[in-house]
Amino acid sequence: MAIKGGGFEKSSKASSEIPSSSMADIAFLLLIFFMVTTVFQRDRDRPIEWAEAESAQKIDEKQKNILNIWLEREGGVYINDQPHTMEQATTIVAPLYAASERALVISVRGDREVPYRYMDQLQTALVNAGVVRVVFATQLEQSMQRERR
Amino acid sequence: MSVLGSKKSKASSEVPTSSMADIAFLLLIFFLVTTTFPKDKGLAIVLPEPGEEAQVSQKNIIHLLIQSSGIVTVKRGESQQEQQMRPQEIEGLWRQEVTSNPNLIAAVKTHPDAPYKFMVDVLDALHSANAERISLQVLEN
Repeated sequence: MAIKGGGFEKSSKASSEIPSSSMADIAFLLLIFFMVTTVFQRDRDRPIEWAEAESAQKIDEKQKNILNIWLEREGGVYINDQPHTMEQATTIVAPLYAASERALVISVRGDREVPYRYMDQLQTALVNAGVVRVVFATQLEQSMQRERR
Repeated sequence: MSVLGSKKSKASSEVPTSSMADIAFLLLIFFLVTTTFPKDKGLAIVLPEPGEEAQVSQKNIIHLLIQSSGIVTVKRGESQQEQQMRPQEIEGLWRQEVTSNPNLIAAVKTHPDAPYKFMVDVLDALHSANAERISLQVLEN
């Protein structure tokens, strides 16, 4: 049993390193977890043409406090992906606004060609619902485009 | 030499897995960093409370009447004088007007048939000129 090196060397060498073979599995698990749990947009985009504005600013509010209202070219109103009539808008928005403790921001996403009469009706409905903060969602217009126009 | 030869072939028979962790973490960190949640952009405005109506003297109002063609007719409070301009020219006009009257209010009145984009253009110009007192109305005949 007289082994060169004392005989202990081998067993102590095996435990001297952290096992790194499972590290890849852990990393891939995390990678897949984050990829699966990343949610990009809660509601589907409606087919509208965006209006463009140069001075558009980011909406400084948490995502859960933003309510998107879509206004289509023919006057169709969509709140939370559900089609509604203009008359229903007040009764739908008012409870949501109260539930959010008046922190709700309404993001109005109107088609650029929608006649203003519908936008005015929607604004009246929002005023009646007690909403104060409204954002007209637009795409950012580059100043280069503007000069060309 | 035969012992050495067998060792060499054994070393290359497996795919090296020690760098796999580095590759996976690199991907993980790359995706974590590059993921941006798209934030909505827009023109913010504060709507009046229901039933709230402020009385404003006519000399503090500048009327911007947006026609359905996109032409903006500018009327200053009391005077009957009208001026026609494009939405892009509103910014310069506002900057000029507000220096002489800091209490100025922009009353944007849009024709019911005018496309929404013209109202956005005017609102954009007013925002660019740092106008804060804006009233949105529909144009009545």
